[in-house]
Amino acid sequence: MNRIMKNLMQRNEFYISIAIVALSIAIQLRSGQFFTSNNIVDLLSALIVPGLFALGAFMVIVSGGVDVSFPALASLSMYATTRILVDTNYQGGILLPIVMSLCFGAILGAVNGVLIATFKLPPLIVTLGTSSVFKGIMQGVLNAVQITVIPPGMSSFGTAALFIATNPQSGLTSRMPVAFLALVIVLLIVYFVLQHTMYGRGLYAIGGNEVSAYRAGFNVWLIKFLLYVGVGMISSLAGLIRVCMMTQAHPTNMLGMEMMVIAGVVLGGTAITGGSGTLTGCMLGTILLVMVENSLILLGVPTFWQGFFLGVFIIVGMGISALQVSRAIKARGALTRRVQQ
Amino acid sequence: MRRTLAFVLVLLMVFSMAACSSPAGKSKKSESEWEIVVVPKDASNPWFIRMEVGVKEFAKETGLNVYQKGTPEIDATLQSQLIQDLIAAKVDAICVVPVDPGSLEPVLKQARDAGIVVIAHEGASLKNVDYDIEAFNNEQYGAFIMDNLAEAMGEEGLYTTMVAHVTNASHNEWADGGVKHQKEKYPNMKLLEEEPRVESEDNGDVAYQKAKELFKKYPDLKGIMGTSSYDAPGIARAIQELGLVGKAFTSGTGMPAANAELLKSGIVKSLTLWDPALAGKAMCALAVKVLRGEEIKDHLDLSVEGYTDLTFKEGSTTVLEGKGWIVITAENVDSFGF
Amino acid sequence: MAQSVLKVVDIKKSFAGVQALKGVSLEIKAGEIHCLAGENGSGKSTLIKIISGVYTPDEGQIIFGDKVYSKITPIEAIRNGIQVIYQDFSIFPNLSVMENLAFNEELANKRKLVNRKRMKKIAQEALAKINFDVDLNAKVGSLSVASKQLIAICRALMLNARLIIMDEPTTALTRKEVNALFNIILDLKKQGIATLFVSHKLDEVFEISERFTILRNGEKAAEGFTSELDNKKFTYYMTGREFEDKPFVPTNVSEDPVLSVENLSMNGFYENVNFSLHRGEILGITGLLGSGRTELALSLFGIMQADTGTIKIDGEPVKLDSPETAINHGIGYVPEDRLTEGLFLPQSIGDNIIVSELDKLSSRLGIIDRDKKKEEIRQWVDKLSIATPNPDNACSTLSGGNQQRVVLAKWLSRDLKVLVLNGPTMGVDIGSKHDIHQILRRLAEQGLGIIIISDDIPEILTNCSKILIMRNGRISAALTPDEADTQVLARYMM
Repeated sequence: MNRIMKNLMQRNEFYISIAIVALSIAIQLRSGQFFTSNNIVDLLSALIVPGLFALGAFMVIVSGGVDVSFPALASLSMYATTRILVDTNYQGGILLPIVMSLCFGAILGAVNGVLIATFKLPPLIVTLGTSSVFKGIMQGVLNAVQITVIPPGMSSFGTAALFIATNPQSGLTSRMPVAFLALVIVLLIVYFVLQHTMYGRGLYAIGGNEVSAYRAGFNVWLIKFLLYVGVGMISSLAGLIRVCMMTQAHPTNMLGMEMMVIAGVVLGGTAITGGSGTLTGCMLGTILLVMVENSLILLGVPTFWQGFFLGVFIIVGMGISALQVSRAIKARGALTRRVQQ
Repeated sequence: MRRTLAFVLVLLMVFSMAACSSPAGKSKKSESEWEIVVVPKDASNPWFIRMEVGVKEFAKETGLNVYQKGTPEIDATLQSQLIQDLIAAKVDAICVVPVDPGSLEPVLKQARDAGIVVIAHEGASLKNVDYDIEAFNNEQYGAFIMDNLAEAMGEEGLYTTMVAHVTNASHNEWADGGVKHQKEKYPNMKLLEEEPRVESEDNGDVAYQKAKELFKKYPDLKGIMGTSSYDAPGIARAIQELGLVGKAFTSGTGMPAANAELLKSGIVKSLTLWDPALAGKAMCALAVKVLRGEEIKDHLDLSVEGYTDLTFKEGSTTVLEGKGWIVITAENVDSFGF
Repeated sequence: MAQSVLKVVDIKKSFAGVQALKGVSLEIKAGEIHCLAGENGSGKSTLIKIISGVYTPDEGQIIFGDKVYSKITPIEAIRNGIQVIYQDFSIFPNLSVMENLAFNEELANKRKLVNRKRMKKIAQEALAKINFDVDLNAKVGSLSVASKQLIAICRALMLNARLIIMDEPTTALTRKEVNALFNIILDLKKQGIATLFVSHKLDEVFEISERFTILRNGEKAAEGFTSELDNKKFTYYMTGREFEDKPFVPTNVSEDPVLSVENLSMNGFYENVNFSLHRGEILGITGLLGSGRTELALSLFGIMQADTGTIKIDGEPVKLDSPETAINHGIGYVPEDRLTEGLFLPQSIGDNIIVSELDKLSSRLGIIDRDKKKEEIRQWVDKLSIATPNPDNACSTLSGGNQQRVVLAKWLSRDLKVLVLNGPTMGVDIGSKHDIHQILRRLAEQGLGIIIISDDIPEILTNCSKILIMRNGRISAALTPDEADTQVLARYMM
């Protein structure tokens, strides 16, 4: 029992969970609204897009890279998809838009993949560059403007509900979007790939030591290339879902999300140096940030202080996880010293 | 005797100086060489795309070199960089819709120091401009939005205001004007004191999330006065999803085409607006007048609809106000063509 | 005569016109422990990379049993039983012992899905080969260096290795761990597995290997049985120079101690340390890793602070609470890891030398006098014979020994009373090592008090006039070199 406790205490997920519980209680005390069915549904629905982005960002960080291009990639691919379908007056269901955006995502992701895997350029520089290029294509080539009326198949998918949660006291209702299933499905796929395929273990191996991975026989090039293709697809799906849920396509309002998403992943204990981190931690970190972002009014943080509060929260959160890590290293150092004596 | 002589000399000097600065026009180039650039908040917002329609129309009508150039996203830094580039390119006039007026001041000062005419729109607080042109008196427009919201709310109940950013000058003046108007005219309405003003960050999704939170935390909340063109549609989405249609209301600025469905479905009763195309055209017309060295005074006529009788804002020598607002409802929404 | 596992004949290889190997031959017999020695740049690593298939030779043959190749791929090398254990062990610190051990085989079998049961079995079998007991689920990064090395060895053995090449395997190991490693190598020998041991530490070469090959400047300088080799010959083959290792006899010792340490204690690291150092002396401090020697050194330089006790400089008690105060009191420190702690590698050699005397070289306005600077740099480069075509080159272009000289120059350009060196010749060639020792002796003769902290016992024995041995944070013995030899020191250390 004691050992289980101790084991738990060393895990970042444990602290994030405590933070989530503490924040929930704080919100509940301040607003009386946190533990209501419709509020929980609201949060889960707000989690869909950042959650999908986080899964992609997580895999890249595990492999030892970092991707800051996913909002631009998602914007471009969702915009291209919506634009084409609007211009052709598409009246069908959601399947074609999903397939189209996955294809665009794969192509754009492959650009990142080739630059990073084949030319061995640093991922941060590459994705900063492609991020600008993607934005540029949107502005320059596609002349992107807000699309206010999207194909009926997309808007009905975005507004379709799995169920509707009603708060018995206030009578407020919130719908659980069908799109939430997409997050669940992608989460399961990512989990399976990371834990149960040699490909997934290869990602961890590359993140730990790329040269060793090559020597051990991993096809480093293929693993990296497919990674960026996959992340492109996941990000595009997130972009498309966002359009469907908002029932309009705005070319730029996802830009800038990368920092929050990466912060969430790192908050969840994923080492920015690569190789370590768990999906649970990644999702918990993202949940925590989505909660904070969408509960500032419930918490009663004045409008003028919201940016400040969010920033302080991230710094404190990161600080605590950094402290945990350095403490663990110190403890280990002391241990080996004792053993040697 | 010497005193008289001194007096005469002083008088002579004053006259000669006045003569030197007589209105001979601000630019030495001929009109066809003028370059007038309109800088909106960004290039993709339909609002500013509509503005560009007006700018292009003006260029066609006058044959002058007038065009619009925007940044890819709404970003104060990018905007000031763009203006710096324009200064370097030695354009003759810059017409700007500032993202963050405060942070733009130093660049606009540079522009004016370089002899460039600076005309602003939605930037009444700016100091380093030749003139700022407002479609209307901000306070009056805020009162006008409030009238629309009050009508929807049945002139009673708790409400709050939403702006893009608390640093955005016009939005906050509208909101202040609306609140002032409510206090004078609608005694049964009450401003939510805990959250009198929230930010939508010019993002429909943020407006939606914030509105959801507000309605959850304050069950008595009956209305939200929007200002940015993203506010009312986002709030309407929240009202619809939370099952508050008919119980909670919003009003604010919005484009007809983007909001046709919302208006027709009855979630939103009315939106207010001025035509950005006309505003863009008015900015250009004013810039030309300044470049030509014409006198700018009360009851100025720019020959642009709604801007035919501009007056200076009370106590200001730079802010000119027109009467360019319109209201759109389910009935007239299809008649605007944008 | 045992059959040979590997034979390379007349291998030549050049890089961009520089001849790295000029026709080297090498033969390794089954179950043999063979040492490949040579200084940095002698061509050892090139030869190993050719054997393991990473480089293709320009000329020559590689022969496994009766198969003759003119070039091989890494996969062919592995199939012929060649396994290389690199200095970084090629492990995944972030993954479990099990995964580290099982990946190679799983990948070789082209498995696509993870089967933990099968991987566990593979890992257990691998560990059993050398009776290594370790938690399969532990993260490898959390293990000691020695355990990581054992994991690398286990992994190498799994693929039916017949020859294991170990590249500088003892660099980061403590004496105890080195002994354990040697036992394993002897164990492998019994199983008929040969070991090619790459090293430049002569005591190890003597201790473990049966035969040796020494390379110098891309040529074979010598080969033969270790039993026929002695210290002097080894050094000669390695460097092509003859050195006399006369013990250091201080000639210019001051009457009063320049540094004295009284009852110095630091909780958890060392306690009750007493010693004094006179000008002109070289004091050696040795002890195992974790004996407190490094912490003591850091305390003398103000990086760590003692809890109780006194440090006196020229008889005056001083409080060393930061490196800055230590420097102001005339104490210099050359750190263990000169690469991360002592030098600005991308900066020029010259700038590194004068970094601590910039104030001396600049005018009152803080502007650096270029001519003065150039002259000062030239002087130090000459004085310490730093081998560089141009002091403006980046420090990273220098070899380990020359980098160490730059660190020395950096300190000596200030007026020092005491210089503390932590592992001054770790990872440095014999030739350079000898030169550094000569520099230190000269400095002592000029009146500097020097403290060398090192676990290189021969280094301590020949260069120090007094020796302190630390064990578990206490000084277990204080000896003079003539009272001590390797065995005595080892006894006080363990």
